[in-house]
Amino acid sequence: MSVPVRVRNLEKNFGRYPALRGVSLNVEAGELVALLGPSGSGKTTLLRAIAGLEQPDAGQVLFGDIDANSLSLRERRIGFVFQQYALFKHMKVFDNIAFGLRARPRASRPSEAAIKAKVLELLHLVQLDGLEARYPAQLSGGQRQRVALARALAIEPRVLLLDEPFGALDARVRKDLRKWLRELHQRTGHTTLFVTHDQDEAFELANRIAILDHGRIEQVGTAAEILDRPATPFIDSFIEGIARRNADQQSREWTKPHVVVSR
Amino acid sequence: MAMSDRFLPLAHAPERATSETAFTKVVLIGIAVLFLVAILFLPLVTVFVEALRKGWGTLFENFGDPDTLSAIRLTLLVAAIAVPFNAVVGLAASWCIAKFEFKGRNLLLTLIDLPFSISPVISGLVYVLLFGAQGWLGPWLSAHDIQIIFAVPGIVLATVLVTFPFVARELIPLMQSQGTSEEEAALMLGASGWHTFFKVTLPNVKWALLYGVLLCNARAMGEFGAVSVVSGHIRGLTNTMPLHIEILYNEYNFVGAFAVASLLTGLALITLLAKTLLEWRFAGELAAKAHRH
Amino acid sequence: MRLLTRRSIALGAAALFLSFEAAQALADRTLLNVSYDPTREFYKDFNAAFAADWKAKTGETITIEQSHGGSGKQARAVIDGLQADVVTLALAGDIDQIANKTDKVPKDWATKLPNNAAPYTSTIVFLVRKGNPRGIKDWNDLVRDGVQVITPNPKTSGGARWNYLAAWAYASKQLGGDDGKVKEWVADLYRNVPVLDTGARGSTTTFAQRGIGDVLISWENEAFLVQKEFGADNFEIIVPSLSIKAEPPVAVVAANAKAKGNLDVAEAYLRYLYSPEGQKLAARNFFRPVDASSADPADLARFPKIELVSIDKDFGGWSKAQKEFFADGAIFDQIYRPTN
Repeated sequence: MSVPVRVRNLEKNFGRYPALRGVSLNVEAGELVALLGPSGSGKTTLLRAIAGLEQPDAGQVLFGDIDANSLSLRERRIGFVFQQYALFKHMKVFDNIAFGLRARPRASRPSEAAIKAKVLELLHLVQLDGLEARYPAQLSGGQRQRVALARALAIEPRVLLLDEPFGALDARVRKDLRKWLRELHQRTGHTTLFVTHDQDEAFELANRIAILDHGRIEQVGTAAEILDRPATPFIDSFIEGIARRNADQQSREWTKPHVVVSR
Repeated sequence: MAMSDRFLPLAHAPERATSETAFTKVVLIGIAVLFLVAILFLPLVTVFVEALRKGWGTLFENFGDPDTLSAIRLTLLVAAIAVPFNAVVGLAASWCIAKFEFKGRNLLLTLIDLPFSISPVISGLVYVLLFGAQGWLGPWLSAHDIQIIFAVPGIVLATVLVTFPFVARELIPLMQSQGTSEEEAALMLGASGWHTFFKVTLPNVKWALLYGVLLCNARAMGEFGAVSVVSGHIRGLTNTMPLHIEILYNEYNFVGAFAVASLLTGLALITLLAKTLLEWRFAGELAAKAHRH
Repeated sequence: MRLLTRRSIALGAAALFLSFEAAQALADRTLLNVSYDPTREFYKDFNAAFAADWKAKTGETITIEQSHGGSGKQARAVIDGLQADVVTLALAGDIDQIANKTDKVPKDWATKLPNNAAPYTSTIVFLVRKGNPRGIKDWNDLVRDGVQVITPNPKTSGGARWNYLAAWAYASKQLGGDDGKVKEWVADLYRNVPVLDTGARGSTTTFAQRGIGDVLISWENEAFLVQKEFGADNFEIIVPSLSIKAEPPVAVVAANAKAKGNLDVAEAYLRYLYSPEGQKLAARNFFRPVDASSADPADLARFPKIELVSIDKDFGGWSKAQKEFFADGAIFDQIYRPTN
């Protein structure tokens, strides 16, 4: 199911402002990678370019062996979770999750019964059993986030992209969801990229971390690699906080390599 | 969106509210009510009182007049063309403006507002200058035996122009505030452009759209100035209801004038009623939306 | 979508309406008479009579459509392309405008029909409220302090120009032709006007329906009509010692009529105005017939004898009067200052 993602020399300008200046990145199948950087570093643009929501000026995105440019948005089959969830306000939770399945061309559209089974299975997976008849407005922030994730997973995506998945949540919910997301990733094994500006989040969740600044990737590596050998002075100062907290807590949990489960 | 105002939290009186502010409140409410009665309610009642001055029989007799029937038919025809047209084009224009960044976007926005800021008389005159016998396209049109002004096409055009902003003006602010993320989400989930539009964009703006359409309809049926300029006032042919009302009034047929006026007012009231009923019917859904965040 | 279904029904209905109107247009010939305000009632009667006569003579059913409005405005609409077959306006000057600005009416239109192409005439009289509370007898009473006079704006209304010229003629006679004094006298008169409506019908409703003013300077036929509509006991007609002979002219808009294949019926329509039946109907609707012989004596008896001046003899024709009095910056602009 999962495919590796390769990004080659991606460039993107907004007017005269360069958002991406030659970004290359390899993500292995089933890997969980964080795109970390200060605001304006280009991390969200990179994510949206991979998704196909932004058209890069130059460069290439490959899903496995397939050039993403040759695929329409529909054919890309990418699960995208938006920062503000972007749930369909006028639809119940059930219809939100079923949307992607119902939007398929008639020939490949599952039966309503199959859709129902799939939606209920996903609701169970994201631990929202019984909430299918609610409207998004009737859910908490964390619940909405999980609906958004279930909706993205419903189309059996090649790749899962998450834009600041916990950005709008308060600290406590955030911590719980972080743990939960990592467990979910271990279970489903999707190639996953997520954008964050929160170092703790990146270092705790990801197999590898790509740190961006001014539209360039400054360093890619595991948490340990980055902490031990920061590649540039920028990285050094950017991860300073983490290193200190880390030293204080003497906790090394996040450096443990994860077992990547491929399906 | 005008209907959302009912969901605004009530302004909380300051804790130190004194009898003076309470008094002020009573006075202000009193003035508002008095104003509404004098400016809105009384004239409305007058229309129906005048129409019924000589009884129901005379009222219905007036509706049987062929010129009156023709005016009613023309008004409904014009609204039936102008309103759907403006709903579709207004929706498309709003969608372009709210969801995309492109060159000339601000110009388009200004153009949409133009019919609001210029007098309807000028909107009518523009068409006379364009399509009139002495106008830019006049010689070509008359050579091809096409009659636009002083005929139904001109009346439809003038109405379309004058009522164009109603739908777009309702939709643009709402669509802008909603942003594009739901559409992007739909596209990422594999929906086609049309599927996204009908299942996501349209449901999100349907109340504003309906409201815009109702306003547009009310104005399309009631427009006087622009239509008057391009109508030619041919009885039984190019007189809409508002024009016919003026003619009847000028012919000392006051009962007839107010009979048609009461019908026009009635149509407007039905429009309002339809809106209220729809709001009531979908109250739950509206409330759910209003309470998000 | 329920909304869409409803729309398509509406569109279907619209198409139905259109086809209905198209079918109607094909059936028979229709003639469009573009006229001025106070002729509505007259042409309603006259059109029925003409249609019957035409049917009797040719077997063809003819429909006559009417458009009414201020005379100047109507001329403008014909210039801009209103497909009039005939125009029946308040002033020769307005038909001249059509002839000058387009080729639709021949320049010598006034010679095509008898009496300078004016099939009926009218004059200017006063209308006052029941019992004549202000004791108005003649033009002189209109310049008295505190008398409110209602008359439309001569810049926009044909009738108002006749009103103005009648007043001028009276003052000129009274003051021995001293133009400076006449000007002052007319200025005094317009100082007593609280509202200048744009058209004759507007002034009439201001006076009769809204109850503003003490005296209305009015077309004679319009004054009679008010008495008929509002009851003869509510208003009185006052005949001044001197007035003006107004000659509302008619013309075939030849280019339009030819294009629509209506030339024969348009010409017959206007000729019928001069027929005994046409003259009789004019008299019944308070227009003075040019040939009184066939009119009902009872109708004729309603027209009082007034000394009448003429636009051609006393003012040197419309184009001269227009330039002298009503053009921008001419005498009317000099004497009229809106009062607050």
